[in-house]
Amino acid sequence: MTEPNAPSGAPPHAPDPDAPAPPPYGATPEPAPLVEREGDRLHPLTPFVKGWGYFVVAAFAMANNEGLRSNLKIAGIALAGVLVGGMLLGALSWWFTKWQLTDDAVRVDSGFLFRRTRIIRFDRIQAIDVAQPFVARLFNMAELRMDVAGGSRSDGKLSYFTSEEAAKLRGILLVRAKGKEAAEEAAQPEQEPPPLLVVPTGRLLGATLLSSTVLGSLAGLIWLIVATTVLEFHVGLFAGLPLLLGVVQPIWKQVVGNHRFTLVESRDGLRTKRGLFDLQRQTVPPGRVQGLLITEPLIWRRLGWSRVDLDIAGVVGGVSGDGEEDQNGVQLLPVGERTEVAGVLARVLPGFDLSRIEMHRAPSRVKWLRPVGWRYLAYGADDQVLVTQRGWVSRKTSVVLHHKTQSVRVQQGPIQRRLRLANVHIDTPQGPTDAIALHRDLADAADLLEAQTTRAREARRTTSAPLPVQTQPNAPSPEGSSSSAASPAEDNPAT
Amino acid sequence: MDDLFAPSDVSWTPVSPKLAAVRRVTSAIFCGLVAVAGLFAFGLMLSWLYAGLWVLLVAAGFAWSWSLIGRNQRSWKYAEREDELLVSHGIMFRQLVVVPYGRMQFVDVAAGPLERSYGIATVELHTATPATDAKIPGLHPDEASRLRDRLSALGQAQAWGL
Repeated sequence: MTEPNAPSGAPPHAPDPDAPAPPPYGATPEPAPLVEREGDRLHPLTPFVKGWGYFVVAAFAMANNEGLRSNLKIAGIALAGVLVGGMLLGALSWWFTKWQLTDDAVRVDSGFLFRRTRIIRFDRIQAIDVAQPFVARLFNMAELRMDVAGGSRSDGKLSYFTSEEAAKLRGILLVRAKGKEAAEEAAQPEQEPPPLLVVPTGRLLGATLLSSTVLGSLAGLIWLIVATTVLEFHVGLFAGLPLLLGVVQPIWKQVVGNHRFTLVESRDGLRTKRGLFDLQRQTVPPGRVQGLLITEPLIWRRLGWSRVDLDIAGVVGGVSGDGEEDQNGVQLLPVGERTEVAGVLARVLPGFDLSRIEMHRAPSRVKWLRPVGWRYLAYGADDQVLVTQRGWVSRKTSVVLHHKTQSVRVQQGPIQRRLRLANVHIDTPQGPTDAIALHRDLADAADLLEAQTTRAREARRTTSAPLPVQTQPNAPSPEGSSSSAASPAEDNPAT
Repeated sequence: MDDLFAPSDVSWTPVSPKLAAVRRVTSAIFCGLVAVAGLFAFGLMLSWLYAGLWVLLVAAGFAWSWSLIGRNQRSWKYAEREDELLVSHGIMFRQLVVVPYGRMQFVDVAAGPLERSYGIATVELHTATPATDAKIPGLHPDEASRLRDRLSALGQAQAWGL
């Protein structure tokens, strides 16, 4: 994907951000100079690809609405009106959206009533991905997703380009975001490395069927059917709908979303590729991993399967397709066998071996609070990571790197107080990792709090950051509520 | 082992008792509104006896909140360690947060109209995770701005990227 024939040593030309952009009225952005111009438009088919949803919604509304169907003519006019209006709005928004690369940032001007300028500094870009939603793929178009720490997902989206352009631009941006060394490195062409592993569809399907959510919903559904047909006990079939959804939705999501999940090791770190309709690519830059979560549902444990998710700085919900926002971080492995998981973990965190970490179990009086699950509560630490474990139905193992620890909290509720227990939270940036050492003895909790604080402090001092972007200090703003220091994208109302 | 939420190796600073005053005023306003609304609702629909009982109930609730607010205010304290800020609070649900200065993304100082009239402010420290709950209410404005400047300076000096 990265064949950035990026002119890395391109003369830095100083664009004046206040000068009105000379409109390059050529319809398609010409492939030739992708670098600094006074603002390019996106692909002219963008409004159509973005707006096809309107069409579907309108058609759906017509099919479902009795009143509309009986009055076909009006419906047709209304539909056409909605379509034309939508297309017009889309076209206007396309016309007024321009992007350009300045010396140190990507600048996107948009909006025709409310002009808006968004500046995404290169050094704030944590990861750059090329995504191809289904419709876009039909037209060989792609969007560029720039992840910025602390920003929401839509902050760094630029859609659409032709796929070649998107790949090229991604290369350029990667070079800019990572500095000179990376630029020189990236100048050599990269051959597509062989995949580290491909998750077979059969296992994906089996794993989903055996996951706790699906099994639980399935059991509920069967009970409901038995209850209504055999026992004539009409609980109301409405209850079946969410249950059915609980069965179908994960299967759909896993089998379609993770179809041919492929893990590749590239120069920029591990790269994942997946999806049947929406081809999703994600890169895991080394050193940007904040923590990871290993999930093992009850039955998977018997089969030795587990799932691995990662917290990556700046990536909150990069997993699912368009628009759907979920907090999954980056999926590193949807389902893998023990050896595969160990291999993947060793690549992400060199020197990490879960089996060598001594785990401390929770005291037995926790059974008053968790009759079954207390046996599975544990934490452990070595000189690199802290690991917490919990859950019986679905065992979750959270791993936090010491030098990524944000803050440490101790909490205690009234019942815990009676039992002389406390929870210790190790906070990491938003993501799937959720490291809580639940229900520890008070002395134990005090020790853990102190030890983890010390370990985090030491780790911050000794660990050298491998990437230039990473060491960028997040300067705190001295003015209190103008909390803008950390926000990477600035919205300046352009004059 | 009360030490867990207030380790004794640092010097703790309590927050201003005015915090309790502000919260009592808020509670009084809320209880007053609830009492009046209930008074008329019960009085007009059932009987004024129930209405009177309701007012008594709300009054009892207010008295309870009065003492609870006092205890809660006394539970708030913070300490500045060499590398971390410690904030501890809570009676029923207790919490101690340890935030390294270098993890700080930004600091907020906020004061509502009621807080302003009593001369207190709230300082809140934000890290890259929303789970970090390092908020110190009930600070004298001078102390709040001192803390803000100090936290900013320390945060800058020890800053560490993501």
